[in-house]
Amino acid sequence: MSWISTIIFLPVVFLVIILLLPSRFREWYRYITLGTAILQAGIACIIYLRFDQAGSDGFQFLEKVPWIHLSLGNLGRLEIDYFLGVDGLSAPLLILSAVVMVAAAISSWEIKENMKGYFALFLLMDAAIMGVFCALDFFLFYVFYELMLLPLYFLIGMWGGPRREYAALKFFLYTLFGSVFMLLVIVGLYFSVTDPVSGAYTFNMLHMMDAANFVPGAVFSPEVVQTILGVPARLLGFAVIFIAFAIKVPVVPLHTWLPDAHVEAPTPISIILAGLLLKIGGYGILRICFGIFPDSALYFSWFIGMLGVISILYGALNALAMKDLKKLIAYSSVSHMGFVLLGFASFTTEGTSGALLQMVSHGILSTMLFFLVGVLYNRVHDRFIPNFRGLASHMPHYTAFVMVAFFASLGLPGFSAFIAEAFTLIGTFNSQSVNGLLPRWMAIAGSLGILLSAAYFLWTLQRMFFGTTRFRGGEAWSKQLIDLRPHEWAVLLPMALLTLMLGIFPSLFFDLSNSALANMVQELFETGKRHLDSLQYTNNLRF
Amino acid sequence: MTSLIIVSVLAVAVLYLGLFKYKTALLPVSVTGLLAAAAMAAMDWDLEKMYFSEMMLFDNYAVAFSILLILTTLLIFGLSRNYFEKISNNVAEYYALMLFALAGGVVMVSFHNLAMLFIGIEILSISLYVLAGIRRKDPASNEASLKYFLMGAFATGFLLFGTALIYGATGSFNLAAIASSGAFESALFRAGVLLMMVGLSFKVSVAPFHTWTPDVYEGSPGLIAMFMATVVKTAGFAAFLRLFLMAFAEASAFWAITVAILCILTLFAGNITAVFQDRFKRLLAWSSVSHAGYLLLAILAVGFSASSAVLVYTIAYSLASVAAFGIMILVSRARGNDHLDSFNGLARTNPFLAFTLTLAVCSLAGIPLTAGFFGKFYVFKVALAQGYTWLVVLAVINAMIGIYYYFKVIIAMYMKENANAVAIQLNPGFRLVLSIVVFLIFLFGIFPGLIANIL
Amino acid sequence: MSHFLIVGAALFSIGLYTVFSRKNAILVLIGIEFMLNAAILNLVAFGRYDRIDNEGQVFAIFAIVLAAATVAVALAIIINVYKQYKTIDPDKIKDMKY
Repeated sequence: MSWISTIIFLPVVFLVIILLLPSRFREWYRYITLGTAILQAGIACIIYLRFDQAGSDGFQFLEKVPWIHLSLGNLGRLEIDYFLGVDGLSAPLLILSAVVMVAAAISSWEIKENMKGYFALFLLMDAAIMGVFCALDFFLFYVFYELMLLPLYFLIGMWGGPRREYAALKFFLYTLFGSVFMLLVIVGLYFSVTDPVSGAYTFNMLHMMDAANFVPGAVFSPEVVQTILGVPARLLGFAVIFIAFAIKVPVVPLHTWLPDAHVEAPTPISIILAGLLLKIGGYGILRICFGIFPDSALYFSWFIGMLGVISILYGALNALAMKDLKKLIAYSSVSHMGFVLLGFASFTTEGTSGALLQMVSHGILSTMLFFLVGVLYNRVHDRFIPNFRGLASHMPHYTAFVMVAFFASLGLPGFSAFIAEAFTLIGTFNSQSVNGLLPRWMAIAGSLGILLSAAYFLWTLQRMFFGTTRFRGGEAWSKQLIDLRPHEWAVLLPMALLTLMLGIFPSLFFDLSNSALANMVQELFETGKRHLDSLQYTNNLRF
Repeated sequence: MTSLIIVSVLAVAVLYLGLFKYKTALLPVSVTGLLAAAAMAAMDWDLEKMYFSEMMLFDNYAVAFSILLILTTLLIFGLSRNYFEKISNNVAEYYALMLFALAGGVVMVSFHNLAMLFIGIEILSISLYVLAGIRRKDPASNEASLKYFLMGAFATGFLLFGTALIYGATGSFNLAAIASSGAFESALFRAGVLLMMVGLSFKVSVAPFHTWTPDVYEGSPGLIAMFMATVVKTAGFAAFLRLFLMAFAEASAFWAITVAILCILTLFAGNITAVFQDRFKRLLAWSSVSHAGYLLLAILAVGFSASSAVLVYTIAYSLASVAAFGIMILVSRARGNDHLDSFNGLARTNPFLAFTLTLAVCSLAGIPLTAGFFGKFYVFKVALAQGYTWLVVLAVINAMIGIYYYFKVIIAMYMKENANAVAIQLNPGFRLVLSIVVFLIFLFGIFPGLIANIL
Repeated sequence: MSHFLIVGAALFSIGLYTVFSRKNAILVLIGIEFMLNAAILNLVAFGRYDRIDNEGQVFAIFAIVLAAATVAVALAIIINVYKQYKTIDPDKIKDMKY
């Protein structure tokens, strides 16, 4: 039984069923979708349990089927495989995806119109997201990556808020801007890498990660400096792919699509955007940018760390100024994802593990946060902070979950984000002494970000939830603002437990990823260093 | 060869059917004939036969493109039931003229002698001059016809003069003889190549010789515009590539830079102007100009895979265009015009049409898992392999611009409302053709090896 | 030989100039005919060197025939346009805008 293909194509099967069901069964659509998500979560559990945690950096659950094979005459053969597998880096994210999908499926209960279209697109996106995390063929990865965009575009554009068309198109064009140029680098890489066994050019990412497979003298060869339009090819290739994923993460200054998309998107889509899409950016940076261009990653590490610091601080400061609760959380995502970048840039095992845990933890927490905003918005169709006061006494259960989510997000010990951010900062702090890549003040600036996040979360808590109960909508709102319903409990409670569990027993996560990551970081650093020394770029970007 | 004969005889037979008022027999006869022609063409696979003392060569290239042209025409015929009857009483002429044009197209993809290229282009063009102006009472149709004729005949002048010069330089019209003549350095030859390039550029609407395209597409009846965008463009590019591949390949260092410049001009002219269009037909016309640019990119990479790239791209483009123009015809007939606002709310009234158009537009824009994506990918790859990095970067920027304007129609269909829109009735022909197109766009998008391995 | 070429090039240029400068569809048509005939002249001239196959002459006949067909269609189109617009100045026939 090939579990990974099942987890990817299960939604497609149910998508077809939904399309075939006549609309008088429309109530079933959401149950089918939820059922799919739960089944996927089950498969994710199986993958978690069967994952060989001791197996160091090897990929597991491999599947490989020839997909597109062409003869290109004098250009050799074009070979694209359907090639899947997970390792310690992608397995946690795959499992996270399955969990977040369940939450998003439950919160899709709020969707009332054109349900067939909504759930069909939802399942298509589900399949594509799972595929992105498992694809090991770069072309296949790109196909999944793009395939994920189109349903999202429609989901935001058709079921979103008042400015949905603008937000959807902005989101789409931003992401596409990055990815089309990535396609060129993919082709360039294809012409640079050969399969060590068959000798044919290949899109296989595992081959691309091994410097030995590069054709001597090819565009992206790590041995000699080649230039494209006057810029060293490997640096350019890295920068292009990095920008593509940095838009997704999002890294300031490429983040401007995010607040718009979040504000306009319906709650389940916000959850998927924050919980999973941003993770694809982080995953891509580590797996592809760092994996294939370790030397360029070292070369730019100061710069990447700086971008991380800027994102942390800029996101936090913006969150502090927001009056719209959803926008506040959107900016807090920018801030939290900055830690991911900082951790990656440190090239230490602590930093990278911390960054990966931060992605998982943020996936859970942002799901909770956006779901909580959705709860409020569904009741009174308003989410402006000044319009609410003293919710704590009015909706005690709701407030309890808000406090859990807020405190977990601001890094209270005992919750997952604390471990994640602590590890990231330790890694960053050590970087100066271990490999001399990032200066110590970046770690200090990062901790300043934690302080700021405490400020905005606590201030919001104080403004909205404490004090005497007073709503802008008066009595009408008091009636509508009832406490949590059962299905809302069903999302919030497991999520709260998950973040607590990861905070208390982080080994649940670290066991999965650590051995793979430790090897990977070490290897990346060494090969990167070796190539960087042999390439000898004239000017150095470290300031 | 047999397929060419069938197509020509079919055209004459259809004319006679019209003469004797067998109107109901027109469509079945044409469709059967075309199917037979396609089958006969397929029989010529791998035979590589020369005909008429090396005037024509039915190699795999010719067979593949002939079948593509014939099948595209078949799809267009599938949409044409009850279409021409609304425009004119002389329905037979439509079918006959389109079949004559198709015969010209088949000659254009199988020539092995400049004389046949010239004859093929003229057969195609003259039929089209008439087809463009066939709505005799409609000023726009007349205008389109006049413009198309003036531009087309003008281009023919260039083409013929260029042919004469090449004949003077090499002493032959035969492609193989030209390729082996070794006269590539002479000024006469170079002037000839440039003049022929100008002539062909007019025909396939490559900037700066594209100005007729939007007016002619807009003025012509919808199905004729569809025919121009698909069959004529495919034939034109196949001929363009065949000429440069078989006769001028050795001199590529000299003409490549010119083609590169034309390519950039075409991409930018087509895409940037398309952004400002608010009528769907004009938008498609400008986008067809931009697709000529991507195809030029493949021609630049002369070599074995260039023909495969052009074939894949034209297949994807033809399929998507048939769907896009077909739905444009339906919408403009039902809602009075082809303004983008007319597409508002189509997703609610006709989900199938909206889905098909979305797929077609995604294929034109090059979104993965549609045929168009692999077409673009292939073309870019072939061009990158030849080292045209900067050109491909510009092309990618243009693909981005393309996505922006293609999505305008998707936004209109799915995200805008039209309170008084009523469902559009589909006749079975439309339903069948659109379903086939949807299926093929997906099939070739997911398994591009099916078409990319042909040549 | 070069005389023929010069005459051909001159005819072609005259035709080109006529196409661009004249405001009457018939005159534009005549300009196009100039261009075609320049090419045909060249074909025949070059055909002198091709005594075995006489390809040039054969091509010239083809070209003449096709040019005649073109003119027939062209005149029909122009007459039709004239009926609609009462003018045959291509610049004045502008219903469609960019």
